[in-house]
Amino acid sequence: MNHGISAIEYVLPSRSLSLCELEDAGLLVSRAEQLQGFGFERCFISDESADDLALRAAAAVLSNSSISPESVDLLLYAGAIASSHHIAGERFLSNFNYPATKLQFELGLTRASVTGISQAGCMGLTYAVKFAGDFLRANPDAQCVLCVSADVLPKGVQREILYNVISDGACALIVTRNSPRNRVLAHRSVTKGYYWDCIARKNEILAAYFPTAKNLVQDLLSGAACAPEALRMVLPHNVSYRSWEILLDLIGVKKDQLFAANISRKGHVIAADNWINLKDAVTANLLNPGDKLLAFNFGFGANWAATLIEH
Amino acid sequence: MRHTVFITGGTGMVGQDLLPKICFQEIVEKVIVLTHGNGALPAHQKIEAVRGDVRLPDLGLQHDVKQAVVRTVTTIIHGAAETSFASELSAAQAVNVGGTENIIRFAADCPRLQAFCHLSTVYVCGKRTGTIREADLEHNSGFVNAYEQSKYEAEQFVASQAHRLPTTVVRLSTILGRSRDGAVTKSGAIHYALRFFFHSLAPMVPGTKESLVDLIALDYAVESIALAALHQFTPGSTWHVSGGSDAFSLEQFLEETLQLFYKHRPAWRKRAIEKPAIVNLETFFLFVKSVEELGESVLKNSVAVLKSFAPQLAYPKLISDASTQLVMQRSGLARPAIRNFYPKVIRFLLENNWETTPQDQARL
Repeated sequence: MNHGISAIEYVLPSRSLSLCELEDAGLLVSRAEQLQGFGFERCFISDESADDLALRAAAAVLSNSSISPESVDLLLYAGAIASSHHIAGERFLSNFNYPATKLQFELGLTRASVTGISQAGCMGLTYAVKFAGDFLRANPDAQCVLCVSADVLPKGVQREILYNVISDGACALIVTRNSPRNRVLAHRSVTKGYYWDCIARKNEILAAYFPTAKNLVQDLLSGAACAPEALRMVLPHNVSYRSWEILLDLIGVKKDQLFAANISRKGHVIAADNWINLKDAVTANLLNPGDKLLAFNFGFGANWAATLIEH
Repeated sequence: MRHTVFITGGTGMVGQDLLPKICFQEIVEKVIVLTHGNGALPAHQKIEAVRGDVRLPDLGLQHDVKQAVVRTVTTIIHGAAETSFASELSAAQAVNVGGTENIIRFAADCPRLQAFCHLSTVYVCGKRTGTIREADLEHNSGFVNAYEQSKYEAEQFVASQAHRLPTTVVRLSTILGRSRDGAVTKSGAIHYALRFFFHSLAPMVPGTKESLVDLIALDYAVESIALAALHQFTPGSTWHVSGGSDAFSLEQFLEETLQLFYKHRPAWRKRAIEKPAIVNLETFFLFVKSVEELGESVLKNSVAVLKSFAPQLAYPKLISDASTQLVMQRSGLARPAIRNFYPKVIRFLLENNWETTPQDQARL
């Protein structure tokens, strides 16, 4: 059995601010010029809630892929921050108002089991893809998993995290058994609990990022007998281009193998980057069937993950 | 004949252990130590301290003091140096070149002088690669830091005076700690780098997997200096006190260090800290530039230490000590094996929470 990503849709807010506008509004920690040097230009800021963005992305992926809502076996809903996992109300009980359940109702996913991934930071959607594969393997009758991620930072909060410029957004993927495209060939992930405190361990996280990423990717590629030069494209998470220049060298991949355009154009859309980039690469006709793709990601909660995909 | 030895740098990392060693030599009658700053000297009847500064003419000694010293000195061991890898070139040259010029002039005034022993570094070879031999000096490959360049220039000056003074040059490699107990008396860049590794603050080092990490034991350095200056002094000779072929590759060094951290701090394992990645120079400096731009002081400090010396590993070399070993073996001096003393040093650093032994523990 194999599984793959048969459809992707994403939603970004209509409003975006340039680095200078963010700086003027006091929404950056670093200087705009410095972040520009790291490859950023702007980010998207939503006036809608995370669950509204999620609903739009999920509805679009079902509609555009002609997947019947009733055929979805599982809905995995990922969000990096706590507010993405409940629909806030005045009363305490509203903490149990889950957007994933609301999504199931709104979309008519009547057969779908529903659950969320809430403690994997920017890794949420990547883990959803992994867990979808595990679910399909474990349930021979299941055919289709809908994976959705959505995050909207609280109003007025700074848009820079660890020198990366953060966008709001949502992304929805259909993971199917025997997918005709984007077959997941291999996956590696590691969680390093020592770095759980992203404030106290900020320096250590910055330092650990590269050697951990290098070892993980090399382990993935060697396990799949895929040479770095055989990769058609690296689908990044949209952290600074500078950090990608460093990581590419560590893993033996050339700069022109990186799909880097969205780092400046879209910023770091929390858990959605890799998959937004895959969608945009397909839309831009940059990929051919059989191309090998590497999606690499890191998320707070100290998670590193790499996925090898055959388009 | 019994010797009167004049030593500069007696309170430094090497000097602390060298002084007792020299005092124990029966052929040594008196040890005059040029002191500068606050470093404490061990108490010993043979030791006499004179206050001065190698950067000054006549070493900053008062006229009558200088006259008394030059009349008696038979051996000079010049170890005073600016050893910080992060020094500006002018500051390094002031001590390492200017100081050497001053003490050479001073030596020329010593009528009984039989031996001038100049302590240097194997890294006067700078960015050269391949096999570096004792006879090698001149090159135009450039240097990793101002320390290397200034010591190179100092050696050039010593060489230019060899026709009129009995000089020998002892080039020391990176000193790690004592071979017997692993004790570290003064932390250097290598110790800071190991500490950063332990604390997950050393993400990458430049070099290749095969680059040799040349490290020596402090006692071996001290024995070698005593041999070169007193017992086996040969005018015009150069010694390589290095690990030579007994060196870890960079890959082995990192793995060995990791395993020793696991062994001596079992709880450390759960941190799952990765070994630093081995990268090329371009990538290393791109990372350095990024960290310097970020302004994270803790990481910046780590990177500042690494960038001051680690780029040397990107210029792979074997510091050959073949000629030196011939003399050592004749003298019965064996070079401690890195695989024996490195574990002791790591254990010492961990057991002492990365602190060094107090200076007053230098033994007499």
